[in-house]
Amino acid sequence: MVFNEKIVDAGELKHIEGKIELYWIYTSGEAGDRFFKALKDEGKFLAAKCTCCGKTYFPPRIYCEYDFSETEFVEISGEGCVRAFAVATLDNNEESLKNPEIYAIIDMDGTDGCIIHLLGEMDAEDIRVGMKVKPVLKSKEEREGRITDILYFKPV
Amino acid sequence: MTRVAVVGAGYSGFNSNTPDLSWKELMYEAAVRAYEDAGVDPRKDVDAFVTCAEDFWEGFAIFDEFVPDQLGAVLKPTFTVDADFLYGIANAVMIIKSGLADIAVVEAHSKASDILTFGEVIKFAFDPIWLRPIGKAHPYYFAALEKSAYMTARGYSDDVFAKVVEKNKANGRLNSDAPYAGKVTADDVLRSEAVFYPIRKLEIAQRADGAIVFVLAREEIARELTDTPIWVSGVGWWSETSNYDTMSFTAAYARKSAEMAYKMAGITNPARQIDVAEVDDRFAFKEVQHIEALKLAKSNEIPELVEGGYFGRGGDLPVNVSGGSLSVGNLLEATGGQKALEVVLQLRGEAGRRQVDAEVGVAQAWRYIPTASGAVAVFSR
Repeated sequence: MVFNEKIVDAGELKHIEGKIELYWIYTSGEAGDRFFKALKDEGKFLAAKCTCCGKTYFPPRIYCEYDFSETEFVEISGEGCVRAFAVATLDNNEESLKNPEIYAIIDMDGTDGCIIHLLGEMDAEDIRVGMKVKPVLKSKEEREGRITDILYFKPV
Repeated sequence: MTRVAVVGAGYSGFNSNTPDLSWKELMYEAAVRAYEDAGVDPRKDVDAFVTCAEDFWEGFAIFDEFVPDQLGAVLKPTFTVDADFLYGIANAVMIIKSGLADIAVVEAHSKASDILTFGEVIKFAFDPIWLRPIGKAHPYYFAALEKSAYMTARGYSDDVFAKVVEKNKANGRLNSDAPYAGKVTADDVLRSEAVFYPIRKLEIAQRADGAIVFVLAREEIARELTDTPIWVSGVGWWSETSNYDTMSFTAAYARKSAEMAYKMAGITNPARQIDVAEVDDRFAFKEVQHIEALKLAKSNEIPELVEGGYFGRGGDLPVNVSGGSLSVGNLLEATGGQKALEVVLQLRGEAGRRQVDAEVGVAQAWRYIPTASGAVAVFSR
């Protein structure tokens, strides 16, 4: 029937709108817990170094994904270099953002890893691959132990 | 061990939207055409069914439970792979080679036009602790970051990606099922709005609806069913990591899955042995990445080859003759299905005015933002 009796009158087409309302708690795990506590309470950054190969992970995690062996936490500065950046002008619904957002992949000093986060206090035209940036945190009172405690990274 | 062939292919679509059919009816249309093409009755002849879907694209949970009826698969072995169509092909090949089935069916579809919050669904694939809460932008920004990293790593200018869009949109003009085909020059691309700089609007494949069904069979049965079996001579799949800090951003997932498929297919020099390729181009830079990863050309030669038409319809190694996803649209988990379909049509000599001369073809798909995973299938005449 679908082959020879197509609906051609758009006014007859039916659909039902639906939504899925979903809520979770996302546990940050041992590595996340240590990282976010250090960030919130002391404004410090932690990475995780593989006890076997020495590769230093950022974001930190409790195992090395190459050796499948354990890691130990090491403190890092939180500063890094811009490896790549993007200037986004549209929001989740593909509508214009009030202010374009600049995202960057930032290679974190003292680690083999990186963070994806926002850049701030600079114009898109001034960003260069390789430029040195440092994190700007919320005030200690405002910090919640979340990745958004880092507001953005700005030029050193 | 038996060889496995595609003995039937059917599809429905591809369109920017399909308000008259439900997603199940789309699947039914594609299935009816595939069974007609193969000359099989799903109720009697097919031993196993593999569907490819992701619950969040569908808008309901436990997708596999919604399947059997519209494929003629009731009271038959079925399962769903939460991945692209090409992963389904790999599974069907394994089922047949292992002797569990003589004839197996693979399906994937997209009813992207039903998704009202596409950006939000992709954001659900972002790490909820480390990445999802950052910023308010559409997740396309993640692809823009990857393009930025890739361009810097390879020293490519934007011209090469703009040229890819021009080529694919032009190819699509000979494909009546390519709703986003058009007359677009590289300059038009470079002048289009930099919505996610360095990605411009025309470098992004827009969403499309459609369904693809393949019927696969072991060699003896394939030869009985058709004079033009298309052999699945190699399959491969590979995941890098789910962590952005250890992703290559140079499509290592595609390189490794291609190596796996090429090894199985006995291909040692893909640049010479592959005649036609359909690769994931849901962002223009992805085509370039994937051409490199599939070893269809050396990375430092790609810009010149793209510029010179080497990968064009009349070129030495046509890539995305169908128009690619930039013309056909983003078919979600059916993306690799559309690519495999084009390769099969080309190898059968059924590609109409866009027919190229080909004995061996490769299809490749990526699992989209924010993944570093994908699959490859090699087909031969």
